[in-house]
Amino acid sequence: MKRNEFIKASSLGLLGATLPIQYLAKQEVILGHNNKRYKINTRWSQADVARYPVNNCHEMVQDKKGRILLLTDETRNNVLIYNKNGKILDSWGTEYPGAHGLTLFHENGEDMLFICDNNRHQVIKTTIDGRVLMTLDYPKDSGVYAKAEEYVPTETAIAPNGDIYVADGYGKDYIIQYNHKGEYIRHFGGKGDTSAHLSNAHGICVDLRDKTNPCLVVSSRIQNAFKRYDLTGKYLETIDLKGAWVCRPVIKGEYLYAAVLQSNNSTGAQSGFVTILDKNNKVVSNLAGSTPQYQGNQLEEMYQTIKAFQYPHDVLIDDEECMYVAQWNSGKTYPIKLEPVI
Amino acid sequence: MKIWILPTLLLLYTVSTNAQDNFQLARPLLQYPSVFFTNEVAVEMAFAEPNTQIRYTLDGQEPTENAPLYTQPVRITKGFTTVKARVFSKVYKPSDVIEATFIKDGLPIESLENTAPNQKYKGTGAMTLIDNKGGSTNLSSKTWLGFQKDTVEIVMHLHKKEKVKNVLVNLLRDYGSWIFLPKKIEVYAFKNDAFQLVDNKAFKQDNKVSGAACVPIVFALKSGIKTDQLKIQLHLVKQIPDWHAGKGNKSWIFIDEVKAY
Repeated sequence: MKRNEFIKASSLGLLGATLPIQYLAKQEVILGHNNKRYKINTRWSQADVARYPVNNCHEMVQDKKGRILLLTDETRNNVLIYNKNGKILDSWGTEYPGAHGLTLFHENGEDMLFICDNNRHQVIKTTIDGRVLMTLDYPKDSGVYAKAEEYVPTETAIAPNGDIYVADGYGKDYIIQYNHKGEYIRHFGGKGDTSAHLSNAHGICVDLRDKTNPCLVVSSRIQNAFKRYDLTGKYLETIDLKGAWVCRPVIKGEYLYAAVLQSNNSTGAQSGFVTILDKNNKVVSNLAGSTPQYQGNQLEEMYQTIKAFQYPHDVLIDDEECMYVAQWNSGKTYPIKLEPVI
Repeated sequence: MKIWILPTLLLLYTVSTNAQDNFQLARPLLQYPSVFFTNEVAVEMAFAEPNTQIRYTLDGQEPTENAPLYTQPVRITKGFTTVKARVFSKVYKPSDVIEATFIKDGLPIESLENTAPNQKYKGTGAMTLIDNKGGSTNLSSKTWLGFQKDTVEIVMHLHKKEKVKNVLVNLLRDYGSWIFLPKKIEVYAFKNDAFQLVDNKAFKQDNKVSGAACVPIVFALKSGIKTDQLKIQLHLVKQIPDWHAGKGNKSWIFIDEVKAY
């Protein structure tokens, strides 16, 4: 309710006093900080639950037609296709019980999708309408896997030359690099004690913000950090995000966005938020999270402050700078849309 | 009174069409080196969200909007003080309550033997349960020993024979990580050349609680017992109940400290 309406309501005097005060005093909820603040719309999706059910909503991408694609592990429709107003346009996919990672890549002008399936232990490349083009099984050639079950891919990233990077985020935490044909090149990361190792390598993206130094940004979720590597897997640095269980990094323009599954201070309690980093990889905004504060270069612990999200699992920034948040284990709810506040 | 009906309906309509999600605040952070202390402990509270206030109590009451406002670290000197804190604002619903109970040192414990913990959760070694460190809800904290055995046994050797009135064991409950309170805990005191049962407690698996919490359990030994050895036996919930995702599996027991008073 806007302020003038509040005054009108209050002027009804006695009547106003009979209504719960928090309704009357309610102000518009704006989430985030600095120049990255958003209005939240939890009722964006117009999908009919009976017709287009979801289970976990894992990841989202936008195609070149401007449509919004959602990947869910509900095998009645693994991919839901929306317009930006939340209307369902299409759906497909019944063969991805462990649908987890969804990445879109422009290949010679065509939209291509890469799906990571946790249960099938595979990465599947499809056309935008779901026709399977390539299936990558567990990377036997790497020599570090004895069987498919050890490999639980969570995310892919595709380099401009077509190289495919797969993050084995629920398996052995290796990043496996293939060429565009799906031929094994190398692997790096993995579990261990050095800075170059990963713990829950849940997401990965190719960062082209610095044109002369392209790199990979990888989630090390249990460590509450992103780690940067060059495109050959050489470790560069760690971006510490204390307190934040960061899912995949998503780059749009100069900013890096990420869903934070939960806060470290309150695990198992729907304590997620969304974090936004600038081009220097400094946190500038947390949606429903604590105001980012640095002591020198040291980021203070971050945590959820407003229970607007439950377990955010991915963010998408569309061509109009609107944000969509897909959530894991959140009562089979559809994605949330957020509009930037200018 | 009928005159009020129309405006009431109109107002309710206005409110409902403008209604937006009435979000709740998350709980504030409680920060402290350990819930176990010798002389005093300073408890800091944090909540980096503009236009909110942290209010707290030390007397066990639920904090209301009238409870003391947090402005600086709170010093605790009295054992078994429970700090309860909550955040309020004009825009959002008040947070749930976060609480921690601060526990003062007990009788000197010379040494201790316990069932070997799981290799993944072995704390900092033999002294983990008597090092005065703990009270974190993070199961990966090195203050915890984690067990997945049907019976966990802890024997405490006191410095000398003393009159023991209470025994304490601090446990973690974190259903999301399959950590339950034991089905039953028994406390024995060594007297007349044998361990004799002096108190016991049984626990139900309450499915209404969520998130992780430290749960200090205190046993009262009737009128005190003169002894120099105490034994605590914890019996695992061998089958996780049906309402839980891990139903039928073995649960875990997590302990970070034991004390005698």
